[in-house]
Parts: sequence; C-alpha cells; structure tokens
Amino acid sequence: MNLSPEPLVWISAFLTLCIFSFLYRDNILYQFAEHLFVGLSAGYLIAITWHNQIYPNLVIPLFQEGRVIYIIPLAFGLFYFTRFIPKLAFLVRLPIAFLIGWGSGVIIPAVFQRDILRQTQGTLLVREAFEKWDTGLWAIVILVGVITTLIYFFFSRERKGIIKPAANIGIIFLMIGFGASFGYTVMSRISLLIGRMQFLLGDWLGIIR
Amino acid sequence: MNIFQLLTKIPRQIIFLVVAIAIAIPMIVPIGMPVNVMPKSEKLFKAIDELGPQSKPVLVSVDFDPQSMPELYPMLLAIMRHCFARDVKVILMNLWPQGPGLAEMAVSIVPAEFNKEYSKDYAFLGYKFGVSAVLLGMGESIRGVFPTDYYGTPLDSIEMLSHINNYEDLSLVVTLSTGDPGWRQWLLYAQSRYGAKLGVGVTAVSAADVYPYVETGQVIGLLAGMKGASEYEVMVQRSGYSDERRIAVQGMDAQSLGHLLIMILIVLGNIGYFFSRRRSRRQK
Repeated sequence: MNLSPEPLVWISAFLTLCIFSFLYRDNILYQFAEHLFVGLSAGYLIAITWHNQIYPNLVIPLFQEGRVIYIIPLAFGLFYFTRFIPKLAFLVRLPIAFLIGWGSGVIIPAVFQRDILRQTQGTLLVREAFEKWDTGLWAIVILVGVITTLIYFFFSRERKGIIKPAANIGIIFLMIGFGASFGYTVMSRISLLIGRMQFLLGDWLGIIR
Repeated sequence: MNIFQLLTKIPRQIIFLVVAIAIAIPMIVPIGMPVNVMPKSEKLFKAIDELGPQSKPVLVSVDFDPQSMPELYPMLLAIMRHCFARDVKVILMNLWPQGPGLAEMAVSIVPAEFNKEYSKDYAFLGYKFGVSAVLLGMGESIRGVFPTDYYGTPLDSIEMLSHINNYEDLSLVVTLSTGDPGWRQWLLYAQSRYGAKLGVGVTAVSAADVYPYVETGQVIGLLAGMKGASEYEVMVQRSGYSDERRIAVQGMDAQSLGHLLIMILIVLGNIGYFFSRRRSRRQK
C-alpha cells in the first residue's frame, strides 16, 4: 500500500466515500457531499456563463467597442425578466417567438435529413448489401425490423389479419432493442463504479498501479 | 421464509457489497481477459490510421464531464496518442462547460509522450456556450466562433490553424460524448448540414442509439463505453503506437466479472420470483 500524499486526492476520496455511504442509507455525510456538489456546480456554471458568454459576447462589444446593435440581444435577454412584472409580461413572447422561429427553421430540415431521409435510405435493400451473404442477411433483418415495428405503432386499423402477426414480430424487435439498451446501461453503470474504484484503490490507497 | 422467497428479498446492501468485491478483486489480481475488437471500433481506428503528416487536422470534441471519465477519458487519450503517432495534428474543443479541465488533463499528458508542441501540432479552442450557434457557425467560420483559443491567443497566431476555416479543412471530427449536447448535435449540424466526416465515442448507455447512424454511414465509426475504449487502446498498442498504461483495458476484467455477477443475480431473482409465485398459487 502506498497512500497518496496529495491533500486533494484525500478530499476527493473522502467525498467519494460520502456519496457511497448512501448505498447503506441516507445520512448526513451523503447530504453534505450532495449539497457541496450542487453548490459548486451552480457557482461554476454562473461563473463560466459570465466569463465565456455574457462578457465576451455582450459586455465587450456593447460597452467597450460601442457597437449599439448589441442593444437588441440585450433587450431580448432582459425581456425574459418581464415575467416578474405582470403589466409587461407580454414582452417575454418576443424572445420566445424568436427562439422558436430560429430553432424550427434550423432544426427541422436537419432532423429530416438526419433521421428520415438517410435512415430510410439505409433501410432500402440495395445491390451492394448482397455482395456478402452476412451483410445481405442483416439488410433483410433491418428491413423486416423497421417495417414490423412501424406496423406495431400503426394504430389506425384494428389488429387482425396480417397486421396482428406483423405487429407481434415488431414487439420482438422492440424487446430485443430494449434488452440491448438495458445491457448497455448496466455496462455504463459498472464502468462508473470501476472508475471510482480505480481512483480509490490506485490514486488514493496505491494498491493498484 | 423458504429459499425461493429469500432469493427475492436479498437486502440491497448485500448486493452492493458483493458487486463492489467482484469489481475490486480483478483490479488487485488482474485476470487478463482478452479484448476482442469490434468492427465499429475498427472503422474509427482505420479512419485515423489512414491519415498522415500531410492530412488535415482531426478535431476532437471533449463533450463530457468528470462523471463519464471512466468510459470516455481513456478514449480521448488513446485517440490523441493515435493521432500524434501518425503525425496528425489535433484540435481540441468542448461543448460542455466541465470539459476544458478534462481536455487540459489530456493535453498535459499525451503531447509530451510524442514531443508535440502547442500551436504547431495541436491546439485547444476551449468551451463555447450555445451549441446550435457554435456548430452552425463553425461550418461557416471556425474563427468567427472561436476568435481566440482557450488561453486567449488569437487563432491567426496559432501556426497549425492558419489555414483552417471550417469543417472542410478538417480530416475528421470525433466527438466523445456523454449526452446532450454531444453526438446528436454534431450529427445534426456538422455531418448532415455540412457533410463533416464524423466519428463518435459514447458512454455505453447511449451506444444503442448511435448504431443506426453507423449502419447508414452517417457516423464512420463508434466506440461504445469502456469496452470501446479498451478496444481502441488495444489497437493503438498492437500497432506499436504507444505502450502507455491502458486504463480501460485494466477495467475490463472488473467489467466482465461485474456483468457475470449481475447475470447470476438476475437469474436467481427470477428463479425466486417464479417458484415463490407458483407456491403461493398452490396455497390458494
């Protein structure tokens, strides 16, 4: 064992153990670490927003360089606070309308391209997919999976005839998808524990290299 | 209470303790389980391996916070090592405010291993608020979005960035992403709108969501969680690019044992549930 001489490592180890103590039950050490984390995160975010966003993008151009056009974004930002003044509360609609308009214009075509056009294209059975037997097989599996899953979410017709077995196959694809996601979630959570264990056993206690 | 009822009522503290022990033991006494490289990870490796000293730089976006370090930080180190071993220039940036500290940690380790110099071989742009505006703006002018680097140096004074204007001047964008903002936004703006070549490294929790985009070629390669990181570390070492400590590979023994234990617990829990339910039906 080769204990770390670094005070920061000890503080970090202490806070890690405080958080782990919740696994037994809620206690004052856990609450201390949790509140410390929330406070630090909020403070860090405020500081970084000021230094990284407001100061260089608004304060400098408007007040130091005298570019008066920047009064418009300043006013739009301040309109958000008019919610606290009932008589002027309607002004909050201006920045919200701007954001929704800009956001929709930018995002809708890009999402259509990313998720609909390219994904539909990827589902089509093209000749190249059958150059190898395995890629051809997977292309068919993907096509069947997409169609049967879409049929499962097709609620405009009663589930009978061909729609019923197709929807049931869709459920199987969905369950496999959920299983894969859950498996990956377990993997992710175990990884987090491994990271902390590597820190406690390695950086702090010096048991592992 | 019979054995089957007992199986469904194991105190959670016992389960946590057993999982902790199962994970700690292989760290102290490594088993050395083999790491098999998956095709999706290999694709990303090959995309970088094809590059050389004359290639355009690779942009690595460090879009995660310390919580995701065990999965994504080893990817960052391995990708930087790979790029530097191939003499490829690297640009680092962040979409997460917690990211700059992590990028700086990597910058303090990897370039020194390959005698790489700041401004000549790599640069760090830092964090910028406003994801959509940042990624769309970079498609027009990286300088417009990042007039200076993380340390306040104007971009025009940074040697390797003198000819870099937008995504067209990059070989590849790799985002190491833990959630939003992250790979979805890179895919939405940089790839779909500007046609940037995109590689993705994600926490395992998000991996299943990226698969469809790898299938269509919108994402050229995927590193999924600690497993993906370990695969990349193995590929970098096998190719003789680096012999440094492989953090993710070290964690994979514990990962495998943890999975095995959880599978056993799920099976035991289900056996207990099934038999205790059957018994209670019979009693009725």
